[in-house]
Amino acid sequence: MNRPWLKNYAEHVPRSIDYPYKTVQQLLVDTSRRYPDYVSVTFNDLSFTYQELNQKVNAFAGVLGELGIKKGDRVALILPNTPTYVICFFAILKIGAVVVNINVGSKGAELLSALKTSGPRIAITLDLFVQNVLEAAADTDIEHVIIHSVLGLETKMQLPPQTPKLLVYSELVEGRTDSEPKVQVSTEDPAILQFTSGSTGCPKAAVLSHRNVVASVLQTDAWIGLNGRGNASVICIIPFFHVFGMSACMLISVLKGYRMVLMPVFSCLDVLPVMNAIATHRPLSFPAVPSLWAALVSIEGAAERLSLVEVPTSGGALLPEWVAQKFQSLTGRKIATAYGLSEASSATHFSPYPHGGPVDSIGLPLPDTDAKIVDMEEGNKVCEVGEIGELVVKGPQIMKGYWNDPVLTRKALSDGWLYTGDLAWMDEEGFFYLVNRKDDLIISGGFNVYPSQIEKVLLQHPDVEDVAVIGVSDRIKGQAIVAVLVLKEGVEENRGMFMEYCRDRLPDTKVPHHIYFRKEIPKDPAGKQLRRVLREHI
Amino acid sequence: MEFSMQALLKELKRKIVEELMIEDVDPEEIPDDAPFFGRGLSLDSVDLLVLVAMLDREYGVEIFTRELGEKVLINIQTLADYVAIHRKK
Repeated sequence: MNRPWLKNYAEHVPRSIDYPYKTVQQLLVDTSRRYPDYVSVTFNDLSFTYQELNQKVNAFAGVLGELGIKKGDRVALILPNTPTYVICFFAILKIGAVVVNINVGSKGAELLSALKTSGPRIAITLDLFVQNVLEAAADTDIEHVIIHSVLGLETKMQLPPQTPKLLVYSELVEGRTDSEPKVQVSTEDPAILQFTSGSTGCPKAAVLSHRNVVASVLQTDAWIGLNGRGNASVICIIPFFHVFGMSACMLISVLKGYRMVLMPVFSCLDVLPVMNAIATHRPLSFPAVPSLWAALVSIEGAAERLSLVEVPTSGGALLPEWVAQKFQSLTGRKIATAYGLSEASSATHFSPYPHGGPVDSIGLPLPDTDAKIVDMEEGNKVCEVGEIGELVVKGPQIMKGYWNDPVLTRKALSDGWLYTGDLAWMDEEGFFYLVNRKDDLIISGGFNVYPSQIEKVLLQHPDVEDVAVIGVSDRIKGQAIVAVLVLKEGVEENRGMFMEYCRDRLPDTKVPHHIYFRKEIPKDPAGKQLRRVLREHI
Repeated sequence: MEFSMQALLKELKRKIVEELMIEDVDPEEIPDDAPFFGRGLSLDSVDLLVLVAMLDREYGVEIFTRELGEKVLINIQTLADYVAIHRKK
């Protein structure tokens, strides 16, 4: 197989990695022994070391064991980035159970679907979210809901009958001093059920084995290639329930012995301390989504503080060119951009660190990761350099399949290759470029229309801040092209003008049929455009 | 003093609507006590950072702690009260 990307690897990046036979929880055990006094977690005024973290994990693993949780059982985590998340995550794994990662914003039918799909015996959440969880859990086989009580709400709630038994986390772990659980876990055992972001509208849980997750963390570590940073800090604002946060914030920290500075976002005000957190902790690493980078580089006095971040990374969506350039002009550094997906444990591609790659590229495949572009119809013919097709990837970080869904698994995985559903192309140097989701492809009047081609044109208009182009059902054309525009401040809405602008710059077959104006484009927590939601609103 | 507070309220409303590109809202019609979050202006976390960036840039006012945010970023009146005292520009 031709791997043109290898020649563009930074000098410190190995072509291949020797993956140890380790489970995810072994990363914590190793670090707690190697660096027992390093601070593991900082949350407001609370900090504890890796040794203390491991002890807390063992205590909660003991609780889970007493509640009857056995190897292979699922336990749902519906928690923001709090110390409880970190403790519960590793405790679930230590007892051989499987972490079901669920977005804290999930509720109603979506939450019920996630719980029914994954079948957890226990759900762990904050009292802030417990009402949503209890409502959904009433229709599932969940036996217990464990709450980390912040507000003491459990004492004030009127619980309906037939709901799972409610237990309070702090009461369960109080005074416990458990030793390491003695559960044999294989690296091929499932570690995490990771619900995909749902941008395709079909919730499904990727099964990530211990081997997948450990490989992913080691690949990213090898790519960045920083050693000897001691107990450096990582700002953890990306939710751990998302693979980007789980890997780039939590697991890298645990692997290296870094201090996780936890910044859960319960409410909007929780983002305010980001700049102070950077100034206080002078983080080695700060992973964030493009919209957060965009806001931060807009703060006038940002340069001094942002310059303190040695490894700024962006994932979840493409980083706008202006944000990348503004950050570089402020700090002299480049934001390292990653491409990945839940099915790949986290990243498959990364821009070369620290020198970067072409600004609109998603970067190069990570070590031991193969990637190719195949035809969109059958998916078995490899495209030429520069030709658009579906991106398929293969590597040790790729999931084992979708939980209890062999049909979807067969569609997504073939001979170890993961069909990403993303349309992309590769240049001669092995850099990959994202075009669109395969299912975002609009077929209008028999013509294939790639939304990004139209979006690129509209984004060049000086009055346009953001844009999403979608296809909506049309009786005559099959699909009509709809452009949803977010305009810059003070600009008047003028559909006619934008139509003319498109007609002047696009083939007739690609001129939008409708233009709508919106305040914002709906995005998921990772910053990915939610075209499905947009379609529902049009 | 009363006049300048009225002018500041008016200016803040205009700048917030412009900066956050709030559609179909006449700045003059925003009540002084319209909450920034929930029912009211319905700002999200990124809006908030954009607002904070504007306050820093236009008035030299830094609101980079949650505690201060809780006191100041309640509604336009509370924000204006704080800006009037702490503005450096």
